[in-house]
Amino acid sequence: MGTADDGTVTTVYDRFADIARTTPEATAVVFGDERLSYGDLSARADEIAGHLAAEGVRAGDLVGVLLDRSAHLIASLLAVLRVRAAYVALDPRDPPERIAALLADAGVRVALTERAHRDLVGGDVIALLAPELDSAPTGDLPVRQGDPADLAYLAYTSGSTGTPKGVCVPHRAIVRLVLGQELVAARRTDVFLQYAPVAFDASTLEIWGPLLNGGTLVVAPPGELGPAELVELVRRERVTVLWLTAGLFHQVVDEGLTDLPALRRLIAGGDVLSAAHVDRAVAALPDCVVVNGYGPTENTTFTCWHPVRAPLAGRDVPIGLPVNGTEVYLLDDDLRPVADGTVGTLHAAGAGLARGYLNRPSLTAQRFLPNPFATSRGALMYDTGDLARWHDGVLEFVGRADGQVKVRGYRVEPGEVEAALRGLADVRNAVVVAQDHSVGGRRLAAFYESEFAIPSSELRRSLSATLPGYLVPATFTWLESLPLTAVGKADRAALAARRNRQRPDIGSDYRAPTTRLESWLAGLWQEVMEIDPVGVDDDFFELGGHSLLATRVTSEIASEFDVFVRARTFYENPTIAELAVQVAALADAPAADVEEARA
Amino acid sequence: MSTSDDDDTRTYAVVLNDEEQYSIWPGDKDIPAGWRAEGTRGAKADCLAHIDEVWTDMRPLSLRRKMAADAEAAS
Repeated sequence: MGTADDGTVTTVYDRFADIARTTPEATAVVFGDERLSYGDLSARADEIAGHLAAEGVRAGDLVGVLLDRSAHLIASLLAVLRVRAAYVALDPRDPPERIAALLADAGVRVALTERAHRDLVGGDVIALLAPELDSAPTGDLPVRQGDPADLAYLAYTSGSTGTPKGVCVPHRAIVRLVLGQELVAARRTDVFLQYAPVAFDASTLEIWGPLLNGGTLVVAPPGELGPAELVELVRRERVTVLWLTAGLFHQVVDEGLTDLPALRRLIAGGDVLSAAHVDRAVAALPDCVVVNGYGPTENTTFTCWHPVRAPLAGRDVPIGLPVNGTEVYLLDDDLRPVADGTVGTLHAAGAGLARGYLNRPSLTAQRFLPNPFATSRGALMYDTGDLARWHDGVLEFVGRADGQVKVRGYRVEPGEVEAALRGLADVRNAVVVAQDHSVGGRRLAAFYESEFAIPSSELRRSLSATLPGYLVPATFTWLESLPLTAVGKADRAALAARRNRQRPDIGSDYRAPTTRLESWLAGLWQEVMEIDPVGVDDDFFELGGHSLLATRVTSEIASEFDVFVRARTFYENPTIAELAVQVAALADAPAADVEEARA
Repeated sequence: MSTSDDDDTRTYAVVLNDEEQYSIWPGDKDIPAGWRAEGTRGAKADCLAHIDEVWTDMRPLSLRRKMAADAEAAS
């Protein structure tokens, strides 16, 4: 487990290089019409690596990667590992201010990017445009083998004190995830899909699963895909292993998993899965194993897994058993194992462990503890903060020991959002809670104290300048003073129960629908957003909408009018007035006729 | 240790292993094999503050040595 075929522990790059030497003609990457063999990819990575070496990048350095999904992205990650450095992949859609802060936090000196995102790399950081780097003679590449303890990548997660923290992941942890791992059991004939943002560790399995096993990686086109487009891509490219975060999994199941004979493994996770959706996936895919995958970034993508072999019939989906190379312990507050059936805090140990948080000694020491259960000396275990219990021989997830929540599969510390809100002029205090909604799952609701109500659009704009989209609350509610508990702390439970259905104060004035199509759309938005009323000039995203809710809108439109509004079309036409025009045009008829057809 | 810091009144010890990785451990429990007490004891927050001061190179010791040797060989 976590080893190459001959039993030696290796690094990501060395394992890839072995495959490129033995089967250079095998297909490594498919991106649209572009196909790169292992030989092509290895050569491309060497070209980019030569430029990194020429800029003085050395073993142990951290290199920024700001690229949309493409073959260049994959070659760039390999190039960074080729020079024995580690990659810090950031999402180019995040606010520039945040990207600059993360590059600075990581001490990045050189970043691989592309023309479209060139401006995101500023200050003293050298920007290399990966797609344009040629094979001109450049710096020397290292000849030595890497060490499995070397850092492979840095992944940022939300931090409760207001600053994101960088999780330092060594090669050993990735190798343990993708080699000799029963959860995936990847082989040469496998085709994986790359869709998760590379900034998140879901991508670790997607990318290195195939590339360290001689398989093929299909890179999805850049930008957001709706569930229908995603399923179509999986079908067309004959993807065999698919890994989806919970929210997307639910949508893909709703969309229908028909005609996917190549798919042999569907892994879903990142948040609690709906048992009904898992049952439907199992029934729709008789030749495919449906797996619940669980794990924090600090233990590299997966800690536990549970293959669903029989209908759950309403029972919660277990998180199952530890993956190969990982041990888990359920402990009480005194770090003693709890009895079967008793809730304990899940601690993880083994080869998947991160080295800690970059330049955060006390945060690391607080969570990475001496492991009293290990057979080796000086070993560590990671306190996940997740509560779980053993039930019928498998683990069940129960909840969190702290305030951390999952929103659309992303890990969110409400404290980080609260700190950003308190940092705004005029906001005295703020509390952010997660609220469960019937449509689109969990959303963040912000409650803030100030002298006067601040327009929601203004708060949204300010926060969007520093926080990624998933950290920006869906609703903002002004309070003269926050409710307190008996001991004087903000009463989070009371706020979590408080729903705000009012139309927020946004950039547009309320304008009522004038046609039947607009009225129908307004009704749909009101139901989906839980806001009443919605005006036809209101921007979907200013109202707190996000991609999962947008998908719900387009799928309702599809079933009502039999027209398919693409994700991109929706983003470019985010008001009811604009959307109505698109729906009518897609139906190839004047809006009035669409209404007649419905009537 | 997920008990919120506000409610945690226990005494902790600062500990480190042979790789010079630091952590904290409840003061009344046996220290796991391969770890040793650094000497600092006290409230959790005080132990963590001390670790912020003394743990300046977070790379495991064996890796630090290996990288230093590699850098020397390359120059």
